[in-house]
Amino acid sequence: MQIPSNNPSDALGSTSGDLPSTQNEEQVPTYTGPGFITEIPELAGLTPAQLYELNQGLMDEAMPQRPLIDQIVPMAVLRAEYENGSASFVKQIDYLVSQSYTGIRRTRGDGDCFYRSLAFRYVERLLNSQEPTMSVVTAISTLESRLPMLEAAGFQPLVYDDFYETLSSIIRRVVQPDDSGTTLTLPLLLEAFQSPEVSNSVVVFLRLLTSAQIRTDPDEFAPFLFHPEIGEPMTPREFCETFVEAVGKEADHVQMTALARALKIDFSVAYLDGRSPDGHVDFVKFNEGVDDGLDPLVLLYRPGHYDVLEKRTDEVPLVG
Amino acid sequence: MAAIASRRLAKELKEIHTQGCPVGIQLLSADNFEEWHLSLEVMGESQYQGEVFALKFRFESQYPISAPAVQFIVNERYTSPVHPHVYSNGHICASILGNEWSPVLSVIGVCVTLQSMLASCKKKERPPDNDRYVRHAPDNPKQTRFHYHDDTV
Repeated sequence: MQIPSNNPSDALGSTSGDLPSTQNEEQVPTYTGPGFITEIPELAGLTPAQLYELNQGLMDEAMPQRPLIDQIVPMAVLRAEYENGSASFVKQIDYLVSQSYTGIRRTRGDGDCFYRSLAFRYVERLLNSQEPTMSVVTAISTLESRLPMLEAAGFQPLVYDDFYETLSSIIRRVVQPDDSGTTLTLPLLLEAFQSPEVSNSVVVFLRLLTSAQIRTDPDEFAPFLFHPEIGEPMTPREFCETFVEAVGKEADHVQMTALARALKIDFSVAYLDGRSPDGHVDFVKFNEGVDDGLDPLVLLYRPGHYDVLEKRTDEVPLVG
Repeated sequence: MAAIASRRLAKELKEIHTQGCPVGIQLLSADNFEEWHLSLEVMGESQYQGEVFALKFRFESQYPISAPAVQFIVNERYTSPVHPHVYSNGHICASILGNEWSPVLSVIGVCVTLQSMLASCKKKERPPDNDRYVRHAPDNPKQTRFHYHDDTV
């Protein structure tokens, strides 16, 4: 297993102070429950209902309703958000642009952003494939071959069937018309991933795949399973139940390695952490050595959040 | 209701009808895909010997991606079990029903977890903040952001 020098969990939190406030989507204030709030004198006079409302207000403010996944925007948009904040982030953004990463497709900061970003690009790459039928058949057969692994991990078909069906039917639609007679296009893919039912179903399926990969290969993964906050070692089962299967739990290195393996894909993650003196950005590769001829899948990590990195500034697909 | 919740609940219901419930758990009512009732009894030796409780599940359209709202039914027939994580109004403070919910869990899975939560109880007592919580609690326990007392459930 690869252990890159630049561990995202180190970056998480330690540099988040550099982010402009609108970017702190992951840091949602939590209401610790009626019995525990009186330690804060200003809040002691409020009823739990009032506190709940106050907290909801803060959450809504902290989480503007960005679409689950958005259209591509130029990197300049991201750069503008850091211009008055952190010079080191701006430098790193300029570096990415110099490497032809001129656009970004942003996702909502709801803890599912890694899985959602990856899933979107995973399907979009099939759309862009030179040999779409071949690519679709390969993807479907890989996914199908993973179903026994899900069962071996202890998931009943009842648990994963519907989620698998959602993802596999989107993938099939790349080459096969659906009931309405249309095949998948980029706008339709975006629409699907912006609908919570479809989008979240795909996210859940990727979570289950990730979990099953870890649970069924404990020798490979167990040494790397630690509680992200307290650092204690965890068993595959505990880790997967708490930090993989649970909706809204962000992915870290272990999950990413497991998912690359389960999907048989290569991808890389650019770590924008504001800590490089010369603006250099590390790309951490999750490399399964796959030769699928598809365009590279690159995600952008900023402390606590993932988006898709693009070599174009708007939705017009890259030619060739 | 969106397709996903009803599709999944239809499968769960079929499984309950064909395979039955685990010992101590019984389906009381499941006439729609919005609200189900099940009874819960702790088998063998426990603090709750001879007591039968009932659980109310309420489902949103995004179930099983979003957690069901689960609480013990409190009415003329049923009471809320006296337990450090269960309030007298039937609300339950359990992380699997909140931030550790996962679509891997099912209605029966939740019942089994709560059954073992009761079975492992050493001392029957209410949560320390019971009176205050119950006075102000919202109707739907999912609107409460519980501070989980510990992670043993």
